[in-house]
Amino acid sequence: MARVLGMLSLLLALTLAASGCGGSKKSDKADSGEVGPANISIWTPFVDPELKTFKAVVADFEKAHPGIHVKVVGGTNDDKIVAAIRGGNAPDVAQSFSSDNTGAFCPSGAWIDLGPYMEKDGVDDSIFPEAPRDYSKFEGTRCALPMLADTYGLYYNKTLLAKAGYKNPPKTISQLTAMAKKLTQRDSSGKLKVVGFNPFPSWYENVPAHFAPSWGATWMDGDKSALNTPAWADQLRWQKSLIDWYGYDNLVRFDAGAGDEFSESNAFETGKVAMHMDGEWRVAFIKREAPKLSYGTAPFPVADDKQDLYGAGYVTGSIIGIPKTSKHKDQAWLLARYLGANANALAKLSNGIQNVPTTTASLKSPLLKPLPGFQTFLDVFGNANTTTTPITRIGAANQETFQSFVSKYLSGSKKDLEGGLAGVDKQIDAQLKQAQAGQAP
Amino acid sequence: MSPWILGFSVFFGYPLVMSAYLSFTHYDLLSSPRWIGLANYRYLFTTDQTIWPAVKNTLWFIAIAVPLQVLFALGIAIMLSRARRGIGLFRTIFYLPALAPPVAATLGFVYLLNPATGPVNTILGKVGIQGPLWFDSPQWSKPSLTLLALWGVGNTMIIFLAAVLDVPSHLYESAQLDGAGAISRLRWVTLPTISPVILFAVVIGVIEGLQYFTQAYVAANVAGGSASYSAEAANALGYPEDSTLFYPVLLYQQGFRYFNMGYASAMAMLLLAVSFAVTFVIVRNSRRFVHYQAPGR
Amino acid sequence: MSTEAAPAHAPASPFVRRRPPVAVRRRRFLVAVANNSLLIAAAAIFLLPFVFIALTALMSSHQALSPRLWPEPFAWHNFTDVFSKAPMWRYALNTLVYGGLATLGLLLSSIPVAYALARLRWRGSNAAFLITLVAMMLPPQVTIVPVYVLWAKLHLVGSLWPLIVPNFLGDAFSIFLLRQFFLTIPEEYLDAARVDGCGEFRILTTVVLRLAKPAIAAVALFSFLFCFNDFFGPLLYTGENAHNWTLSLGLSQFRSLYQVQWNLVMAATLIVMAPVILLFFLAQRAFVEGVTLTGVKG
Repeated sequence: MARVLGMLSLLLALTLAASGCGGSKKSDKADSGEVGPANISIWTPFVDPELKTFKAVVADFEKAHPGIHVKVVGGTNDDKIVAAIRGGNAPDVAQSFSSDNTGAFCPSGAWIDLGPYMEKDGVDDSIFPEAPRDYSKFEGTRCALPMLADTYGLYYNKTLLAKAGYKNPPKTISQLTAMAKKLTQRDSSGKLKVVGFNPFPSWYENVPAHFAPSWGATWMDGDKSALNTPAWADQLRWQKSLIDWYGYDNLVRFDAGAGDEFSESNAFETGKVAMHMDGEWRVAFIKREAPKLSYGTAPFPVADDKQDLYGAGYVTGSIIGIPKTSKHKDQAWLLARYLGANANALAKLSNGIQNVPTTTASLKSPLLKPLPGFQTFLDVFGNANTTTTPITRIGAANQETFQSFVSKYLSGSKKDLEGGLAGVDKQIDAQLKQAQAGQAP
Repeated sequence: MSPWILGFSVFFGYPLVMSAYLSFTHYDLLSSPRWIGLANYRYLFTTDQTIWPAVKNTLWFIAIAVPLQVLFALGIAIMLSRARRGIGLFRTIFYLPALAPPVAATLGFVYLLNPATGPVNTILGKVGIQGPLWFDSPQWSKPSLTLLALWGVGNTMIIFLAAVLDVPSHLYESAQLDGAGAISRLRWVTLPTISPVILFAVVIGVIEGLQYFTQAYVAANVAGGSASYSAEAANALGYPEDSTLFYPVLLYQQGFRYFNMGYASAMAMLLLAVSFAVTFVIVRNSRRFVHYQAPGR
Repeated sequence: MSTEAAPAHAPASPFVRRRPPVAVRRRRFLVAVANNSLLIAAAAIFLLPFVFIALTALMSSHQALSPRLWPEPFAWHNFTDVFSKAPMWRYALNTLVYGGLATLGLLLSSIPVAYALARLRWRGSNAAFLITLVAMMLPPQVTIVPVYVLWAKLHLVGSLWPLIVPNFLGDAFSIFLLRQFFLTIPEEYLDAARVDGCGEFRILTTVVLRLAKPAIAAVALFSFLFCFNDFFGPLLYTGENAHNWTLSLGLSQFRSLYQVQWNLVMAATLIVMAPVILLFFLAQRAFVEGVTLTGVKG
């Protein structure tokens, strides 16, 4: 998903870049006057069919900047980009689907500090809304630009809900639970046929970070990991109780037989799951793969005791930056700037791939034509309580450590919740300390 | 000789020394190594929670899967040696799976053992047994990998077959004259005679167990891959619940996904020590079981 | 001198072997089956995974996801679809390049060293041999970090060179195997050649190589197989550069990019297995001899 999004975002960015070029030819002529011709490369996680559109947009960019030829490499992922930078074979511009790596790239200089470029071109931080602004910076150094964001919410199958007598989507967790149980169907041997809401950890988009906003759960307290909180405990207890109701093994079998998240046999698109947590890109996928599906979107339900949080969600997004090994940083900056900062382009990209544009200007752009169902995610993006995961020096390691414990707790292998959470905190703190070891304070 | 000495020092001697050096540093390839003394080791032995599952998994494999493989190969070899006709055909059949590239074999097994749609559980279902979750269950994932390993014992089996067929027949004849039955002959003639080969198989098996990577990596990624494709934390290594997180897999993850190369080097040093210790223990104890044939009369 | 043994032209002689009557043959066959029933059962179980993989490879994508066991209809086009979905030919080429060059380098470097260790008496040959053994035992993960760093500094990560070049500098296992074999060559052959005035090098190339053909064939075979099956190496060094993937890496990634179409994955699996199995049937003797060489002589 993120891959598709990332690619779409990149495409959008390039389209924006291209249209941006067209719109302000004079200033661009001045720029390309200073910046010489070059062959640059950009790596993106997109694959076909989005890669085709992406390449078309790159072609537009090349037309607007004669002399700059861009080689597009699709199908990359974070591991490859990280490995390439370390191996010295990195591209001139790199796009990552995960903002987590900002904490690894910035302090080490793997991606260069974009501050000087931004100052020179008069691009200011404030064009980005708060969350994207934060997840593309680390300790004050901006080494990446946000480029299209993802927000998460609830998708629900209107047909299945209507059959069970529901007209509206759930707003609280207890409503979600009750509806999920009623919407679940089993076949004659007891196997799950239709699942009301699948609480299985790490299935499709069910990672802890996505559930956090509904309980107001946070990750850090200052410098230290702070997962041992009532908010997380409540969230995990709820998830476990629903899993136990379904039967852990039953869910494993259901998941093993369900389609792949990004295939046409996606469980929600084929009506096997009635309610589902997913990102805004799913709107475009449904339009392409299951156009007859009658569905609706809404913000994800919130905990019963936190109802004022309703309307918020989780946000993350792609980032783009310039690896320090690039030999054509000026040209790379042009490309990156187009991808990250042009309002019209972001709006067009959003229309094409249904991702959330990441500048306040693009959010208000008259060119923005969201598909029905997409507005929910724009609203979530604008909500003041929408949160993201904090950027740390250890990248995604803290989330993976947490997830490792979560899957053990939810399966019943580990029973002490608070003790386990405290242990995870200790581990993450130790990892953070390790990452800092030996550095002058 | 000289190319080899060069290669040896470049690819063996130098890396060993470098590994030791790096284990005392914090190194992520983006900047130069930072000396941190024993911090890596302290972290490894006291704080890291993923090390001990990794060590346990690898030790489990060595203690359970390797002996099973040896026994299984031996059993088939002995059965084959008794067969009078069609040895060639059977030998080929048992050897074929060992030829399958590990990635291919693993993919095949993960598909076959899919808890919901795989043929194995489907057939078990027809007989009325609800099949386990195989690669998706923390209790069954290592046994599933063991089954995969047993499928591929062809190499070992052929070595055993040759050794069994090599046992001098006069030994059997004398045993028979002394009134030994088939099982006694097996225990007192066959096994002792081929004991050096058994030792060889065990040592090789242990060495491979200490390096076990490919099948665990592929199986975890494929079985866990039906899970989230989320941009954040899409790491399925060790799926499910660290049960397939073997030591080499963890080392790879630390060194080449997180790029904690200093820490990975510390892990490598530990692996080195354990490899030596285990091999030493086996060879030491082998003197009790292994009979080297006296030079011919 | 016996006058009774004249089987060639005495058909009436009781010592001539005649085919036993059908009933007896059938009974013997059934007895054989019964005696070896365990073996036959084991063989059937060993073949079962291949059968299932083949069946799945012929199913449609939808059928592969269902609990059906028999494809209907037989989707033979899956095998060609595999080639259009992923650049299998490119992967195959990479695998060939890697395997071929590595094996060549291995032979070129290991043979002289093994010969030296086996024949020439020089101080420290035993020590060198022991060190070789030790090197064999170490898991590659122990030295992997610094070696990777080395290749990264040389900017060769992403290509196949880090996998090929070390083979030109000898490999402990092959050296061990060859040395063991060379030790079995009787000294007389070599002395005869020496008397004829051959230098050590000529002895090596003319006499020893010819005698050691089975061992060399086995080493070459194993080396190529190792490269063919190698996953960790390509994963580490070419992981980020799909252009240079080998078949093993390509196969494992076949699922991530293209949404787990199991029928195609199984077809791809068969396609990757096929060359090795073919090679086995063509070179059966070399295979078996080689394996026994390692085990029994070890």
